[in-house]
Amino acid sequence: MAELKLSHIYKKFGKVVAVGDFNIDVADGEFISFLGPSGCGKTTTLRMIAGFDKPTEGIITIGDREVSNAEKGFFLAPEKRGIGMVFQSYAVWPHMNVVDNVGYPLKIQNVPKEERLKRVMNMLELVHLKEYAERFPNQLSGGQQQRVALARALVAQPGLLLLDEPLSNLDAKLRESMRFEISAIQKELGITVIYVTHDQSEAMTMSDRIVVMSMGKVQQIGKPYDIYTNPANQMVADFIGLVNFIPAIAKGDRIFMQGSENISFPNPKQIAGNAVLAVRPENITISKTGGMVEGVMHHRFYMGDSVDYRIKVKEQFIRVIQKGSDYTAYHNGDKVFLDFENVMSFENEG
Amino acid sequence: MKKSLPRLDSKFIVIAISVLLLLYFIVFPLLILIYDSLFVNGVFDISNYKEVYGKKVNWKALTNTVQLSLIVMVASVIITFPMAWLVGRTNLPGKKIFRTILVASYMIPPYVGAIAWVQLLNPSVGYLNDFIKFIFGLQKAPFDIYTMGGLAWVLTLFYSPFAFITISRAMEKMDPTLEEAARISGSSPLKTLWDVTLPLMMPSIVAGGLLVFIAAASCFGIPAIVGMPGNIEVMTTRIVTFVYMGDAKGIRDATALAVSMMVIANGLLFFMSWLLSHKDYTTISGKSTRPNIVELGKWKWPAFALVAGYAFIAVILPLTSIVVTSFLVSMSKGLALDNFGIDAWIPVITSSQYLESIWRSVGYGIIAACIGTILSLFVAYLSVKTKITGRSLPDLLVVLGGATPSIVIALALIITFSGNYGLNIYSTMWILIVSYLVKYMTMSVRTIAASLSQVHISLEEAALNSGASWIRTCKDIIMPLVAPSIVAGWFLIFMPSFYELTMSNLLYGADTKSIGVLLYELQTYADTQNASVLSVIILLIVLIGNVILNKVTKGKVSI
Repeated sequence: MAELKLSHIYKKFGKVVAVGDFNIDVADGEFISFLGPSGCGKTTTLRMIAGFDKPTEGIITIGDREVSNAEKGFFLAPEKRGIGMVFQSYAVWPHMNVVDNVGYPLKIQNVPKEERLKRVMNMLELVHLKEYAERFPNQLSGGQQQRVALARALVAQPGLLLLDEPLSNLDAKLRESMRFEISAIQKELGITVIYVTHDQSEAMTMSDRIVVMSMGKVQQIGKPYDIYTNPANQMVADFIGLVNFIPAIAKGDRIFMQGSENISFPNPKQIAGNAVLAVRPENITISKTGGMVEGVMHHRFYMGDSVDYRIKVKEQFIRVIQKGSDYTAYHNGDKVFLDFENVMSFENEG
Repeated sequence: MKKSLPRLDSKFIVIAISVLLLLYFIVFPLLILIYDSLFVNGVFDISNYKEVYGKKVNWKALTNTVQLSLIVMVASVIITFPMAWLVGRTNLPGKKIFRTILVASYMIPPYVGAIAWVQLLNPSVGYLNDFIKFIFGLQKAPFDIYTMGGLAWVLTLFYSPFAFITISRAMEKMDPTLEEAARISGSSPLKTLWDVTLPLMMPSIVAGGLLVFIAAASCFGIPAIVGMPGNIEVMTTRIVTFVYMGDAKGIRDATALAVSMMVIANGLLFFMSWLLSHKDYTTISGKSTRPNIVELGKWKWPAFALVAGYAFIAVILPLTSIVVTSFLVSMSKGLALDNFGIDAWIPVITSSQYLESIWRSVGYGIIAACIGTILSLFVAYLSVKTKITGRSLPDLLVVLGGATPSIVIALALIITFSGNYGLNIYSTMWILIVSYLVKYMTMSVRTIAASLSQVHISLEEAALNSGASWIRTCKDIIMPLVAPSIVAGWFLIFMPSFYELTMSNLLYGADTKSIGVLLYELQTYADTQNASVLSVIILLIVLIGNVILNKVTKGKVSI
């Protein structure tokens, strides 16, 4: 089992900074997700951990072993890092059957044939592929190839498992069941996992901690609950979950909604000047009788279990989500009042 | 749906004419060739086979051909696989230039390469032999080009690009994460190459190797220039000797050899396409397929030296030799400064005989390219865009023509079109043009078909829907969209036709001597300087063609 430590990791391609100053301490057995839009640097970071890309600056340590130190010019090749990895394309070798694919890392370690077969079969049992042992990849479905890739990554009992968007090529149903399967296997083996994804619900449901990335920079590292309820900045608030941003002005201990000088919220971060208020759609209540702000019901999208409202307040549309049974209570054009709860505030980043 | 009937008609007529032309000029002659080799006056008689293979010289030619082609095939794969890997998958310095140089030797006519290597390594006055003698103080020339070894050497240098192109294309297509998965499993770069890259590339390696085998076995120019002086005969040179006899018996003996060659070449090609379609190595590819560049580390410069050395020997050295020789005043004086001049150029560019040959070959190339491109367009359209039963038959016929050794095509055309079966075009320019079309249309069909398959059928349907006829739709919609590939297809026929030797050598008449034949004659009559001048002119024209081709297709197609 292994801890992972990245300190001051940079990756530059010429003048372009793909990853800038990445720092993290991952505990043994922790499940970490790198989450962010495409091109944010998450895959590059993963490839630096694996050893496929060289960091321009910084130190990477796996367990108690330094694997990359840019300052000393030290760089350990991928095959010497003892890591398991699952690729987005699965990368299951088409010229080998399932047993040979999964057993390959053990073959490299010169594990005797009998023991190798035993360990491969144990792995195949873990991923529910025992009856497919003799098949070739082109006789397997995408989901089954995925399991082969997972079994191959785990068979040598690595301390660290890297997963690069492993579920993105699967259909929606399979994706959901694989999520729980991967989580269960991780808990059973107690392995440290780095999981790269752009799907926030994957990151939220599986991770102990999430690293939110954007434009090559780490925006926030935290537990899913903390990231959702207390995002570090406007970008994180916007990327994780749904949110309404309302322009505001901070004066002293209070933040005033722009244009409504009588409505204000606390200013815990001591922001000065232009600010932004952020409130999640489920934290807004609608009423016909009275509330903080007045608006007009503009549109309603009925989704069965919930209703997604657009309410026009001054020049801005506010999005509100409430339970589906309220659908018939309002009509387009109705005058309504809104109350905000759990309002977050950020400096205006423009 | 009033329009659908005449639409189908015009389409059908055009396509029917194309199919009939292909049947008449490709299939019919080959059938006649086979028939003539097996029957005499309608009676089954294979005494010619017995007689031909009963003679030691022919049997020796067959074993020489097989032996040489095998050596060349194996050598080409052994040389080009690491080369393709170094150029495509590592941080080798200057790999882009190396790729261009290694592919470029494909556009040098093989007989020009042969002439160059004769200049470099002939035992009496070879430049390279003299150089090595001088450096090491040797009494005797270290190499003799007029041997099996010399022949294998030149064939390997000039046909290995077939293997290089096939292998490096497959290497570029391979999902790099397949290799990364091996690395992360604990495998070193070299072991990964052995365990993953090599097995996955195997079908392409075999395909590239077989292409080299067939090309080497079908080659006439190199064995004629390098082998004949040393009395080394191969199948193609034997066939030419038999045809030169000019009598019915000579031709009949030639047919026996030609049919044997055809069976081997076409058999191997069908085996190859079966092999490639048989193994299903398709894999799902993810987004992160950035090229996985292997760091060569301390091997970087040794590898560079190796590839640079090969590129120098394979391409730069022979080309330099040709150019230098063309500017020598007198061959016997060697490489002295006062021996350089344009003396050898003057007779060539002032002689009407030479100039006529050049313009003639340019003209034949242009006619062949124009007819071939139009036919290719119809064949490609039929196979890619229609659902008519047997739509891929014309495509198959064209491939059959391209896969047949040139010498076999030439012999088949001689037998069929000298009046015995109606049409007589023997000794006219048309028999040359037909032979070029049979041999070279396949590349242009491939190129145009690839581009046509990118044009979605709905674009065409939208034009028909707007009221345009099928012919009008071709003119207004399809043509403009596939125009670059049509230009590419045109050059892919023009260039090899322009410098063709093997078929022209058997088919030319008194007034239709092509530049390839003229060059071959100059070389055999030991006028190596004028031969060099002509070679330089051919190379220049091919170079200009390639530059245009590169511009038009934005670097996607070249010879």
